[in-house]
Amino acid sequence: MARSARLTAQAFAVAVVVGLLALLVWRVAHDDNTGVSQALDAGRHPTAPAFDLNRLDGRGRIDLATLRGKKPMVLDFWASWCVPCIQESKRLEAAQKRYGDRVAFIGVDTKDFSEDARRWQRKHGITYPSVHDGSGKVLAKWGGLPIPKIFFVARNGKVVGELVVEEDLSRYLRQIAAS
Amino acid sequence: MCVAALLVVPVARASEQHPSQAELEGEVMCPVCGTTLDQSSSPAAQQIKRVIAGRIAAGDTKSEIKDRLVAEYGDSILAAPPRHGFGLVAWWLPIGGILVAGVLVGLGAWRWSRAREPAPPPVQLDPALEQRLDDELRRFEG
Repeated sequence: MARSARLTAQAFAVAVVVGLLALLVWRVAHDDNTGVSQALDAGRHPTAPAFDLNRLDGRGRIDLATLRGKKPMVLDFWASWCVPCIQESKRLEAAQKRYGDRVAFIGVDTKDFSEDARRWQRKHGITYPSVHDGSGKVLAKWGGLPIPKIFFVARNGKVVGELVVEEDLSRYLRQIAAS
Repeated sequence: MCVAALLVVPVARASEQHPSQAELEGEVMCPVCGTTLDQSSSPAAQQIKRVIAGRIAAGDTKSEIKDRLVAEYGDSILAAPPRHGFGLVAWWLPIGGILVAGVLVGLGAWRWSRAREPAPPPVQLDPALEQRLDDELRRFEG
């Protein structure tokens, strides 16, 4: 009896340790340090991770998967609290005037309060549609903070590049518009 | 116990109906810094602090304010896990752990107390040997 009780206790302790180790492995495996940004840095061109989020303006949702194969895209991750985002979004707004017929411009308002985000869009004259990613889960798949983060996606759904220097904007826009 | 309950319940109810900025800032996370709002002065934290101040001024309860924040940012905006769904595990696991540990310690103590050997009875010496020992000791002391 005493021996079986000891064995049970030992089995329980081993099970607890194995469980905690499994939890640790799972957490490390799911620690998303493999976003699009990191893939691009490593010289890869991954397929754009899909998302299906509510539009900020309340006019339904945008499902990225439905755009694949139809139009190249520019994705702008921004937030109303992000000061550098103002300048970048204004540059994209200007670019939309020139490329809007060939390229879809989509904003992803992330970790933000949607009411403030809408006010921010009106204040800065941003007209391209944005979706709301309040939890930042979509941003995490694309590489996480900091923002702004701007990605260029070819018609076939592959991410061509991320805006790093000013010249990247026209260079990548020309590239994806021709895709 | 009852007195404590009488004191705690009205305080909790007041906190729910009329939450303070400070207590909510301690219970809500900054979405970009990994700390609670009261530990952060980042622009994102300042934004949520303004929203909270606005909702308190509008007379929202603590739950209403938190629900609004969760609707915008998801469950991860709360410093404590939600008391439903998978979040319950975080609440019950430590309690379960303490209970299991208590039971195990209790069982161990019970087994230990039962397993102790009774004290051995005093050794009975042969009377002749005892007499001889006494004689030897007397001679030694004398």
